Amino acid sequence: MEEIIPSLRNMLKQAIEYKVDENNLKITLIVKKEVKGPLAEPDEVITMFQMLGGLKEEIPMEINIDNKAQKINIKFQTKEDLNKIRAIINTIWDNTVDLLEEFIAGDLTRLKDIPDY
Amino acid sequence: MTDPNAIENNPFQELGEIPEKKYHDGYKISSTYIPMRDRIKIATTICLPKGLSSSEKLPTLLVQTRYWRAMELRIPFRWILDDVISSTPNPEIYTSRGYAIVYTDVRGTGASEGTRPHPWYIDEIKDGADVVDWIISQPWSDGNVVSNGISYPGICSEFFALNNHPAVKAIMPGHAMWDAYIDLAFPGGCYDWKFMEIWSFLGKNLDKNNPKVFKQLLPAVWLIAKGVKPVDSDKDLKILIGALNQHKSNRYVYEMTLDKNYRDDPLPDGTKIIDTCIYPHKEELEKTRVPILAWCSWLDSGYVDVIIHRFANLDNPQIAILGDWNHGAGYPANQFFPERVKVTPSPRERINAWINFFDKSMKGNSIQGKTLYYYTMVEEKWKKTIIWPPKGQTMQRWYLSENNSLSRTLPRIESGADSYKINFRATTGRNNRWWTLLGLPIIYENRIKMDEKLLTYTSAPLEEDLEITGHCIVSIYFSSTHEDNAVYVYLEDIDEKGNVTYITDGQLRVIHRKISTDKPPYKIFIPYHTYNEEDAQPLTPGEIAELKFGLHATSVVIRKNHRIRIAIAGHDKDTFYRYPSKGTPTIKIEINEKFASYIDLPIIKKEI
Repeated sequence: MEEIIPSLRNMLKQAIEYKVDENNLKITLIVKKEVKGPLAEPDEVITMFQMLGGLKEEIPMEINIDNKAQKINIKFQTKEDLNKIRAIINTIWDNTVDLLEEFIAGDLTRLKDIPDY
Repeated sequence: MTDPNAIENNPFQELGEIPEKKYHDGYKISSTYIPMRDRIKIATTICLPKGLSSSEKLPTLLVQTRYWRAMELRIPFRWILDDVISSTPNPEIYTSRGYAIVYTDVRGTGASEGTRPHPWYIDEIKDGADVVDWIISQPWSDGNVVSNGISYPGICSEFFALNNHPAVKAIMPGHAMWDAYIDLAFPGGCYDWKFMEIWSFLGKNLDKNNPKVFKQLLPAVWLIAKGVKPVDSDKDLKILIGALNQHKSNRYVYEMTLDKNYRDDPLPDGTKIIDTCIYPHKEELEKTRVPILAWCSWLDSGYVDVIIHRFANLDNPQIAILGDWNHGAGYPANQFFPERVKVTPSPRERINAWINFFDKSMKGNSIQGKTLYYYTMVEEKWKKTIIWPPKGQTMQRWYLSENNSLSRTLPRIESGADSYKINFRATTGRNNRWWTLLGLPIIYENRIKMDEKLLTYTSAPLEEDLEITGHCIVSIYFSSTHEDNAVYVYLEDIDEKGNVTYITDGQLRVIHRKISTDKPPYKIFIPYHTYNEEDAQPLTPGEIAELKFGLHATSVVIRKNHRIRIAIAGHDKDTFYRYPSKGTPTIKIEINEKFASYIDLPIIKKEI
């Protein structure tokens, strides 16, 4: 696994794009690499934000998965909620790789902050 | 990490150059259930090079594991990585060099059906032959199968060879076990209860498909993995759910061994620890003539001694390698160079060397005879030998002497002993040679503070470099206030600044101290303790007894002006069970002319 870590940051950033539609309070995650099988379940998306993005609070969001287009549409109730998730998405892939690097190096300081899944 | 500049005798270089890739477009993954002779379905993942034409035939690498053959990844990893990314070996290298890889969940684990009474039980071993039958019937198979693995899968590969299937051409047990009692569960008769507990806990949760178990043990894996990868055709997960139900009847080693003491203790299912050992199958293994490449590290648990025992006992064509990394070679472990961060050779270089070995093995008689490559720490050089002990080894005796000194001279005093009240807070921590069995790094750090809790004997500064290669043997005359305790002996190096560096250790629970005159079940290089119940000898409090045992093998140079230290403890609290379970014995170690306690160091004399 260690072998892939150096390239993982770029792989994530290149494979996953996101678009924000402030007017409709919507964020769309687009997976550009062809995925075998279903893209995700809605609860997996929330888990991803919590494990890798540091989401702590419950944010009401409606998640729709378009497996064919490989898109995840997330609809929010308020602009404030949208901005919270936007901020998470902005840093989530860097944070993911940082966490992996820390854990592999034996630094578990941030482990306790991540809920059990 | 070995020194990247250590080129001479470097086994990874001697195994040959890396040839051109045969396939350049990556690999494709599929999975299926293979039915066994009793209809149990074994979950299997297959990796083949992309672009393989229907007329092309490949040899197959078989990896059998109990740690999930492939993982269902969490998002976003599932979107960008291949299913088996966390499995070793990485399929990209093997497939590009023209191998198919078949990964299986052994019976009773992962997505496979069945139950398991204990690891490596007979049905699990026989499954290997059924899987080979399936492999060689595939249109892409050239009829040749090799097998490898690290740790559990490595041990599987050695058991697998016992099937003596004609298609099996070579095996490569990495960091594997030979004698489950002393290499793993009861080194020196002392129960390695922390590992046994955690390993069983890990196994139980893996078999339940519960990824939470990784959070504390392997957090990087936990971040990535959601569970075992179901087989492609099992769309509704019916077979997986059924398999997980069957796993509920599995048994785990911790519960089976917790109240055990002796090698011949019966386990709850009527088996014995010997049933999980390779050594009783020596003759069967030799009959196969299958070439073996075995590799491990000087600092890996009791598995270091496995390399030497296998080398000395098995006549199969053999390449054996002892380096200075942790269990599985994920981290460097040379305690004299704590600043090193990467293992040399890299995983890619290592895997390519393994493939070279398999290529040679399939060409008939390319692997012949036996060679053991070993890395001498501090000297930072690879060496090789065709015999063990290596040429030039002699034993050099050092006596435990007055004023906590270690001396080449026999003590002259008529009476004299050092008392030591066992400090049950003594520990080598959770990054020691035993905890590394969980894949953890090995870090003993400077032992100067810890030695204050122990009884130590230190030599004068050495007048010249001293190479120690092999098994040190200690002989201690001692008495105790109790009938039972354990003794741990650490060999350490002290530099000019007083820094204390761990080299190796050995342990013995004193009730096992009887040195048997029987022939050991396999050739060993240290005093033979049977660890059987009939040979148990509780101490008579106050009575002097001899305790003679071996330390785990090592190869190191102690530099001129450095000093040798022997540190003695009665417990290693984060690893071993407490002996006795209650009370605090005081032991008395004799250091006089009549009862001279000593350590014999296996030194290699420099050729002049």
